[in-house]
Amino acid sequence: MSEVQSSYAELAAARGFEQLSAVAPGPLTPLLVEAGGSPLQPALRGELGAGVTGVVGYLAYKRNKTFRFNVALTEVPAATAFAPRVFCIRRGRSTRDDEFYGFEARHSKLWTESTALNERYAVSTSPYQDPIWLRQLFSPSFVDWLGTAPPADFSFELAYGAVLGSIEVDDPGADGLAALCEATARVATRIRQECEE
Amino acid sequence: MQLNKVGIGLIAFFGLIGAAFAVVPILAGVPWEVAGILASIGVIWVLVAAGLLWYARRQKQKAAHSDWIFQQGLRGTATVLHAGSNATVNEMPLMRLRLDLEVPGQGSREVKRREIMPVFAARRMEPGLTLPVYVNPQDPSDFILVW
Repeated sequence: MSEVQSSYAELAAARGFEQLSAVAPGPLTPLLVEAGGSPLQPALRGELGAGVTGVVGYLAYKRNKTFRFNVALTEVPAATAFAPRVFCIRRGRSTRDDEFYGFEARHSKLWTESTALNERYAVSTSPYQDPIWLRQLFSPSFVDWLGTAPPADFSFELAYGAVLGSIEVDDPGADGLAALCEATARVATRIRQECEE
Repeated sequence: MQLNKVGIGLIAFFGLIGAAFAVVPILAGVPWEVAGILASIGVIWVLVAAGLLWYARRQKQKAAHSDWIFQQGLRGTATVLHAGSNATVNEMPLMRLRLDLEVPGQGSREVKRREIMPVFAARRMEPGLTLPVYVNPQDPSDFILVW
């Protein structure tokens, strides 16, 4: 059993997650599109955090080199009506380095007053969204949490209700995976709260 | 579509290297046959850069116009009646959409629309999906589809 597999087995034992042979989530978010249909393997299903269920798994894909992530996936379907796309990506993250296209789908950079957030993440949204809702989503306490609490290499993508948290460490260990689950659950909970208000 | 860092780099690369190919050999007194070949390559590269620049500028103007419609336009809804794609641009599907457009004061009408979308957005375009639209108050055929 590899170190990654034993980390997942340890997490499953500690938190009562169901062990799955593999999960094929489909191209739900930009990272999963990049992965080109690669499955999450190993993968676990269970409660990522308080009241948030989802899947956590190891994602590896090859373009001109192999990229490795650990990801946690959950859903907040109600978010589509408010903000179809919100991407909060760690600055400096590389998902592909064979990119040669000069034009991409239009997006808007989210403006926030938080230096800590702006230094750590590049936050972008789909254009023509309600700016007030987005400002409320990125409340001072959420921004403060994002800037300090999640794992150092954490990023998240919200795309049409799918919330994907991810870290870049090859084998973060069971504790690192648990932190990924908690951070993703916290993001999903925050989005759900704002949708309900 | 918007220009990204790679696009800026491509324009700079083709423009500067092309200009150098076109001018430097002549200034350096390279034989005319060689200078002519290099200048031809340089001119082609400069034209490529100019073409990319023109496209980027056009996209920027379109974006500014869309921003104006978003701020001044009438808000309505578009229900997807049919969605399909048989072409891609930069690995993104070129979606052909048939929409039922409903705008307050303008009633309901069927329209067609082509949009380049990332894969994760394109796969959500299914019949029955309702999306917001903003319509130019001076031209009902001019609208932005919010996806």
